[in-house]
Amino acid sequence: MISAFIHKFSSPKSFVQITKTLYPLFIFTGLSMLIIGWTWGLLFAPPDAVQGNSYRIIFLHVPAVIFAELIYFFMALCALMHIVWRVRLAAYLIKSAAPIGAMITFIGLFSGSIWGIPTWGTWWQWDARITSTLILFIMYLGILTLHGSFSNLEKSDRLMSILVVIGVVNIPIIKKSVDWWSTLHQPASISVSGGSSIDPSMLYPLIISVIGLGFTLISLGILTSRSYILGREKNKKWVLDHV
Amino acid sequence: MLRLIKIESSKLFYKLKSWLGPMLIMILVLTAFPLSIDISQFDLEKFYFSIIVVSLLMTSFLATEGMFEEDFEDGSLEQEFLIEQDFYKVVLSKIFVYVCFIGVPIALIGAIFSVANGVAIESFVSVFLSLSLSNLLLFNLFAFGNALSINKGAMLGVLTSLPLALPVIILLGTAIRSIQYGNGFLEIISLMIGMGFLISAIMPLIISTALKTHID
Repeated sequence: MISAFIHKFSSPKSFVQITKTLYPLFIFTGLSMLIIGWTWGLLFAPPDAVQGNSYRIIFLHVPAVIFAELIYFFMALCALMHIVWRVRLAAYLIKSAAPIGAMITFIGLFSGSIWGIPTWGTWWQWDARITSTLILFIMYLGILTLHGSFSNLEKSDRLMSILVVIGVVNIPIIKKSVDWWSTLHQPASISVSGGSSIDPSMLYPLIISVIGLGFTLISLGILTSRSYILGREKNKKWVLDHV
Repeated sequence: MLRLIKIESSKLFYKLKSWLGPMLIMILVLTAFPLSIDISQFDLEKFYFSIIVVSLLMTSFLATEGMFEEDFEDGSLEQEFLIEQDFYKVVLSKIFVYVCFIGVPIALIGAIFSVANGVAIESFVSVFLSLSLSNLLLFNLFAFGNALSINKGAMLGVLTSLPLALPVIILLGTAIRSIQYGNGFLEIISLMIGMGFLISAIMPLIISTALKTHID
């Protein structure tokens, strides 16, 4: 049953059909949670004892950097599927997710720089976490450039997938950089396994913001991938019927 | 395999730009750097390594630039594929030849210059070993970048392989610090040797997949 589901869902046609119904649900959930999380975080959460109100950028910065890494991880899984099983949809998803990943990584870096000015006294520091995140941003740009360099799109898909799989080595480096090197960037304050060092009055709006941004990015991903799939498969009968 | 190494060696010998160019640039940068600053104000011994590391990165990229391009353009890559039925051995021998004839001399130049600029003579072997192993890793990674971009220019090669090369630079930096402080060198060099073996075994496989995609 699971393999039948995967087989069905891995066809671009099914993806376009299924996501058509899922998109309104995701965008509504995402935007509502983002509004709740950001309103709570920006207006009602108490100021930080040390940083005052400047810490409030955390509600944008943390979700952005979490998804900068998660999107790449998702792309790596898709790349593996494309290399091993030659799933066309997986390549389409990588191509659609890469600009979103680049954008969210840039937002993460930019918001971090803004936060750095009042807290560290500098907007940039060549420390392990920041540098490895910059590498991730360059990686996204490299993937997009590589894909755009060849006129044969099937070849582009395959080369892009190889690069994405190799580049995944950067993700654990980013994650563990604050533990492996002595960095200006603080270690993680939130832990999935418990023991978060952040106060619940700030943690809850942060979690809501993370989930909200997640759903919003999925919706954005659905939009971009749908339009990309329709463009790539424009000569197929199902696309002509769909349009 | 020996046949491939012989072919690649003779090919590289005639490509003067590929092997002599990076070495000359390495010498030029390492010579020009102390001249461009007031050495009486800086402790050259401490930060001369940084310029060696950056030169190493630059020259190893220059050395591998167009590693597959000429063979791809003149059809010899395709011919080798038909003879060997795979690219693994071709890529492995190509990287081996490049590391031996360009990577090791560059590392030697770096080690000689570091000693000439105040680094203790006892550290010569450690510096040479660290630079050689870094070159082995960098040549593999840049070969990967070049295999992806093949005939699409150096810019794409940099964009695709530089992010992967930076962890190697971090590792080399750690090795150099351990040489300077005199502890933990063995652990770092063992890690680099391990990584060198791993990458040398895996990377040709990945590069051959990329090259096959171009041939298809």
